[in-house]
Parts: sequence; C-alpha cells; structure tokens
Amino acid sequence: MNILETRAITHDFSGLQVLLDVNLEVKAGERHAIIGPNGAGKTTLFNVITGTYRPSEGEVFFKGKDITGFKPHKLVRLGMGRSFQITSTFSRMTAFQNIRMGILSKRGIRFNMFRILDKMQDVTAETDEVLKRINLDGERNVPAGMLSYGKSRSLEISMAMATDPELVMLDEPTAGMSKDETHHAVELIRRLTEGKTLVIIEHDMDVVFSLADRITVLHLGTILASGAPADIRADQAVKDAYLGEMEV
Amino acid sequence: MNKTQKWILWAVLLTILALYPIVFGIYYSNVFVTFAIFALFAVTLNLLLGYTGLLSFGHAMFFGTGGYGTAIALEHIEGLPLLPAVLIGVLAAVALALILCPIMVRVSGTAFAMLHLAFGQLMYVLALKLRVITGGEDGVGGFPIPPFSIPGILSIDMTNPLNFYYFAIAVLGLSIWFIWYFTKTPLGSVMVSVRDNDNRVAYMGFMVPQTKAIIYVLAAAFAGVAGSIYALFQNLIAAGDGFHILVSFAPIMMVMVGGIGSFFGPIMGAAIFGIIEELTSRYTERVELVMGLILILVIMFAPLGFLGFLRYIKERWFGKRPDMTTTEDVA
Repeated sequence: MNILETRAITHDFSGLQVLLDVNLEVKAGERHAIIGPNGAGKTTLFNVITGTYRPSEGEVFFKGKDITGFKPHKLVRLGMGRSFQITSTFSRMTAFQNIRMGILSKRGIRFNMFRILDKMQDVTAETDEVLKRINLDGERNVPAGMLSYGKSRSLEISMAMATDPELVMLDEPTAGMSKDETHHAVELIRRLTEGKTLVIIEHDMDVVFSLADRITVLHLGTILASGAPADIRADQAVKDAYLGEMEV
Repeated sequence: MNKTQKWILWAVLLTILALYPIVFGIYYSNVFVTFAIFALFAVTLNLLLGYTGLLSFGHAMFFGTGGYGTAIALEHIEGLPLLPAVLIGVLAAVALALILCPIMVRVSGTAFAMLHLAFGQLMYVLALKLRVITGGEDGVGGFPIPPFSIPGILSIDMTNPLNFYYFAIAVLGLSIWFIWYFTKTPLGSVMVSVRDNDNRVAYMGFMVPQTKAIIYVLAAAFAGVAGSIYALFQNLIAAGDGFHILVSFAPIMMVMVGGIGSFFGPIMGAAIFGIIEELTSRYTERVELVMGLILILVIMFAPLGFLGFLRYIKERWFGKRPDMTTTEDVA
C-alpha cells in the first residue's frame, strides 16, 4: 500500500517551472531516497508534500487521503514529520525543551494553560528518554543554538521524529557534516526510523545506497527514474544526468 | 529553594505589602499603586515583546479601553458594584483584542508594530472626538467609586485610599501571578517557541495563529485590568492618560530598562521608572528628558536591561555562569 502518493504534481513560482508532472509513490515501511542535481526541485517537492506550498496542479495523497493544500500542523497530526535542510531548531531553548515540544504535540497538549509544564513528570520522563536515545542527554540543558554542528543536526532530525510520525521526511539530514558525523547520523536515522516510512533527500551517495530500499531520481523537475538501488545504479539516463559526474 | 523557604518568602512579601502604607503613609502608598499598575501593564507588554517576539507600538489602546470601559460603566449604570465594573473594562479590552486579532496574528515584525501604532492613534482620536461618550479632552471623571462588597457580609469603602491600596495591590498582584503561572504552562512554552522559530512550531503540529491569538487576548485583558484600576485610582480617565502614544511607549521602555525577556525585568523597570519619576519631578517637569537619557544609556551599555546587567556582574565578579536552565527567559 502506498503511504504517500503524488499525482501529476506541477508547481511553478510565478512562471518559473520547478516541478512538472511528478508522480511519486512511497510504500509503507520503505526507505525512499530522492536524489538529483541542485535545482532539480527536491526541496520544492518536499515543501509541496508537507504543506509549505499548495501545488499549482496535481494532488497529494497520504494514507489514501487527499491532503493537497493541508497546513503543516494538520499534516503533523495525521502522522507526518519533517526536518529542514537548514537547521531550524528553537535556538534559545535548550535541547530538552526542543524535544519536549514534540512530545507535547504527540500527546495533544497544545493549549493547556492550567498546569505547570515542568511538573508534568510523564512528559519530562519521555523527553529525557528521547534525549538518551539520540545521545544528547549530556547536552540536555544547553541552548540549541550553542550545540556543535553535528549535535544540532541530530537535534534537527530528532525533532522531526519526536511527534512519533508514521512518515518521516528528512531534507538533506547530513548536509555539511564530516565523514564521522555522517556515519553517526546515518546510524541514528536507521535506528529512529525503525518501523516507520522514510523519505530522504540526500546528496551523499554513500548515505543513499547504504540507507535506501528505493530511489527516485529527480531531474529538472521531473522524475527521471524510480526503482531499487541496483537498477538506479545501472540506469543509463541517470548516469548521464547525475550519477556519471559523481563516480559511483 | 524548598517549600518552607518559599512559604516564608511569600509571608514576608505579604507582610511588607500589608505594612507598607502604615509605615510610609498615604502619599507613598499612592506612588506604590501607580507603580503596581504600570508593573502589570509592562508585564502584559512583555508577554508580547519578550515572550512571543512581537513589538507593539499601541499597547495603550487596551489600557485605555479598560479604563474607559470601567469609567463609562460606573458613570451610566447606577449602583454597579466594584468588581463587575472592573470586569466590564476588561471585557471591553478583550472585545477590542478579538476584533483586531484576526489581522494581528498573521503579521509580525514591522507590520505588527506599525499596525498597532495606527490603531493606537485611532483609539486616541476616537477618545478625543466622541465627546458624548468619552468626554473629549476632559475625559470621564468624577464617577462614583462603589464600595467593595460581598452582599450581606461586608462592604468596604473604596474612597478611603488605604482600603483602595489593599484592593489595587490584591487585584494587580493576582494578575501578575496569573501571567507568571501562564508562562510556565505548556501553552507558555509554545509561546516561547513561536518567538524562536514560528515556522518550526507549525511543523511540530501546533497552530501558530491560534496560539498567538490566545496570548494576544490575554495580554490585552490584563492591560485592561491595569487600565481599569488606573481609572478607579484616579477617578478619571482621559485620552491623554489612557491612549496617548507615550502610554504605549512607557511599558516598552520599562521592559527595555528592566530586562527584556525575563519575567521580573519589566516589574523592575516599572520600579526604576517610578523612582526616577518621583525624584525628578521634585526638580523639573521634564521627566521624559531624564527617562530618555536613561533609555539611551541602557541600550548602549546594558542591552539586556537591568536584570541582564545584574546577571553580567554576577558572572564577571563572582565567576558564576548563568544558569543554563533559565535560558528561555533570556532574550
């Protein structure tokens, strides 16, 4: 069953065609990578799916439901979570408080103004558990803006998953990371997305081929190829457009 | 701090507040009531500015509306008890906030500030021009101040300044306590994250405009409380006291001088302003001149305000790192 499906998505920014007739299919439980050269429209496709933009044409289906034009908060409540290419944490709040926002959202505590948050033991316990799982328990009380780059990226990725989504959308989670940090991030992603569906935009081919069960290649706003990693590696059109330059 | 210490601290604070007018006399009690009114007013502005990151140049409109609401109600409704009169002022401020919030929650930054400037000035002009209702430049004054009464049990005369002091301090103190409590709740924490990154808040599953609307209405309601008590205290509310642009700027300056973002900063700022006003007005009428100078000095040398400055000194001289767990309070 397809957990996520886009039908003939076309999107343009006042005349600039960014996506053209994109039909993406993501099966429940798979790890799906979207690759493609810069400017191929990967992030725009993400933004259309996660509710940042309403597509100019076409529909998006999530768990069989038409979610075209839904607002981000609604999609999160339906079970979608996303991270950002440029780190987008709550920089003046601590790592703990950042994760806690996700836990609150997951528990549906959104407009409560009658209880003291610090005294909600169960929320605190669950947040600490998440921090431990992502190896940030040592930085519990450090403001997110003061974390090292690798740690703040880990936080960024984990925030997308703190609401316990069924579908996790990660936009270049390892962007700007060192080899070592990338290795840790991949392990983290593998661990956290156990039993979930993952859609990931990635430039690092080592990450893509070690993580993904399926790959979609986006080129100039259209899908060039979609299939298992081995098929993509062998595809001549993909080699010409993208992989050829990357010495795979 | 453990529970016993907390209770002792509260007891000491309440005793000081109770004995204050007896020790310092009525004149200084009135100075203190003025301070408390502006402390609450500044705290409500800080809810927007320090906690949610929204700068308003027209916060006076809620203060003024609260004041006019109470004053006009007492002028026209005979035998209206005290607390319902305050409540009418608050509801008037809430009504204004509800009318404005569909626009205001969708803008931020300069647009938010300038729209408030515009609506603030509009309210000022309305108060001047709608003479039949607002009394024009003279304002609404000399309305009866009802006693604080619980029917059949007690009735306390509020024209007695000592009684009014206790009433005002109780209402203002409870309001400040309620806002403090609010900042500690889950919704309070959503508010802080809206300030840090409103886009991400939506991607965590929270409704940003709705959250902002609640905070906005709450800030307006308590600004209305401050305005209402002010009108009762002066037995007068005029456009110049309620809606003037300087009334909008006063809490901004108090927040800046006291310490932006920290909860108690604005209260400190209101105290500093109260003291300066009291001292300078003995020598000159140009109180604003001194205030302006102090604001310039604060912005140049202590951009985090008085509390930020204290924190800096503590760190510098006693080598104590600021507590990381309270960073949500530091803007």
